[in-house]
Amino acid sequence: MASEAIRARRLHPLTLIFETIRIARHLVLPALAGAISATDDGVARAAAVGFGILAIPAILAAIARYVSFRFHVTDDELILDSGVFSRRRRIIPLSRIQNVDVRQKALERICGVASLLIETAGGKTTEGVLSVLDRAEADALRTRLLASRSGVAPDYATPVETLARLSTRDLVVAGATANEIGLVAAALLSVFQAVQDSLVQRILDSIDSTALDSLPAGLALAGLVVAGAFALLLAGWLLSIAGAVIGYHGFTLERVGDELRKRYGLLARREGSVPLRRVQAIRIEESLMRRPLGLAAVRIETAGSAVAGRRRHPEAFVPLVRRDAVAPLVARVLEGFDPDGVTLLPVHPRTRRRIFARLAAVIVALTAALALLHHPGWLASLVLLVPADALARNAYANRRFAILDDYVVVRVALLGRTTWIIPRRKIQTVHVASSPFQRRHGLATLIVDTASGPRGAARIRDLPLEVARELADRLSAPMPGPAPVR
Amino acid sequence: MPLNAKVETSSSEPSPQGDGTLPLLDPDIRPLDRRVVAYWRLRLAAGTGVAASVGAACGWLLAGPPGAALAALAVFAIGGATASLLPRARYRAWGFAVRHDDLVVKRGVLWRTTSIVPHARIQHVDTRQGPLERRLGLAHVVVHTAGWVGGAIGIPGLTLAHAEALRDQLAALSGDDGV
Repeated sequence: MASEAIRARRLHPLTLIFETIRIARHLVLPALAGAISATDDGVARAAAVGFGILAIPAILAAIARYVSFRFHVTDDELILDSGVFSRRRRIIPLSRIQNVDVRQKALERICGVASLLIETAGGKTTEGVLSVLDRAEADALRTRLLASRSGVAPDYATPVETLARLSTRDLVVAGATANEIGLVAAALLSVFQAVQDSLVQRILDSIDSTALDSLPAGLALAGLVVAGAFALLLAGWLLSIAGAVIGYHGFTLERVGDELRKRYGLLARREGSVPLRRVQAIRIEESLMRRPLGLAAVRIETAGSAVAGRRRHPEAFVPLVRRDAVAPLVARVLEGFDPDGVTLLPVHPRTRRRIFARLAAVIVALTAALALLHHPGWLASLVLLVPADALARNAYANRRFAILDDYVVVRVALLGRTTWIIPRRKIQTVHVASSPFQRRHGLATLIVDTASGPRGAARIRDLPLEVARELADRLSAPMPGPAPVR
Repeated sequence: MPLNAKVETSSSEPSPQGDGTLPLLDPDIRPLDRRVVAYWRLRLAAGTGVAASVGAACGWLLAGPPGAALAALAVFAIGGATASLLPRARYRAWGFAVRHDDLVVKRGVLWRTTSIVPHARIQHVDTRQGPLERRLGLAHVVVHTAGWVGGAIGIPGLTLAHAEALRDQLAALSGDDGV
């Protein structure tokens, strides 16, 4: 068995086909597009041939990459060898592997192959990508890579506990409320209707009067612009719904032993597992549209969850959770921690005025701009200060934090509301930052940084400077008790 | 609408931190090497030169030679003022300390930040030296953690020997820490 495992292996031969398809997508399609759009036949042919010539070395390079690429797993390392002329060897210690995802795009599923994405901490990109492998081989390799990680790998006897499962209906709701697009679309619709009504009125009036073309062209144009914007937003909203339904189809999050396992996707299928002790932070996201509906999304953040430079893919993102199900979910992930039982403290009351001042500056700038344009409604725009005040009050009321023995809880709100729960053992660095405006009032921002990417850093804004400094020192101090296991 | 809230006096008065001292950490905080002021100044001067030539070119296109002269003069005035004032202020704002359990780095003139990097969180430490730094005999140290905000914290303005000593000290202190 051991000798078999040491033997260097190649990727699945289908890799060549997928690579060719990838190159074709990048080179041949633009060539075709160029050929079709070119009016002159000669130009079209030249474009097609040019791109074709570019594709040949790319395909040859892909073949060379395939032939020269080898990987093997020793007892404690994954070794990736590549390079045609200069050999390159990447060694990933198994103990450093954070998680391994099996990803299957639609075509890969049909062909029975899969990609393995190997993440380690600290990297902003995926450290190792094995694309593509035979599906069974991918699963076996994943098990092998993760076996050393937890010491005891969960086997079939380990009970499986479902933490979240989403139906298509849930996903429609999740997509529809994922962001504020739907709300903006609705607002625009009402504006559009108001404009249209007045437009209709104007048309009726103008029939009464002599000429139809007295209808101000500007108004018609404004109507058109609003309608266009609305159509765009509606399309975005529908895309968001479709994205959630397709992307998260059959979403299941399970706890197996000390691991979280997730599965989702209709076309591209993703499976992965996260050891509980690798969880860096939990974020509870209640968007403006979700809060009144008693809904939230929960991100279970792990280290190294950036996927090859593309949009971050949080390792365990539950796109929709009922508000009353959030606490039980958190409790299952963070050793019985009850987020609802925590008393959150407010920040300095000055924060309300600081938020209001910031919003007011924008509104006043808008008013000034309108006044300069001699817009009749310029003074009326100051009415926006009323909702701005309400927003600032809400933001202050919701900007809260708690420093507990084992956890830091930070809540931030403006339109939506986000709550971070960070295990103190996972804090990487702590920062106290202050702007000149904050210093005028003796305030500062406490930043609690974790290894889970750009959104993993929780900011407690507008604490009294002394409090921020004292908390920073406390939070950066080594935790008592046994050192965290690797 | 005026900012109508009452002035809150309940919480702390602005403390006399205007000079940027850190009461908790001050005993050990160390400034950078004095030569870093020259380094920053040269960099700003070079930047000003580039900006002035771009500005002059734009001025020329808009208003001919007088435009070019005016634009260059304006850029030189702003850049010169920055280059003469900012480096010294920045030097005063900078400081770092290697404490028992962590590294403290303090920086920023207007937007001030004090970062605490526990030794256990340090993944690796680099020393780097650019061409200009080499001329001045300076180097900087970059401390890497797995964090995002504090993923790479640089300490500029160290002599090469000091930078290497600091790197070795931090590397020795850093724990092999799982994330």
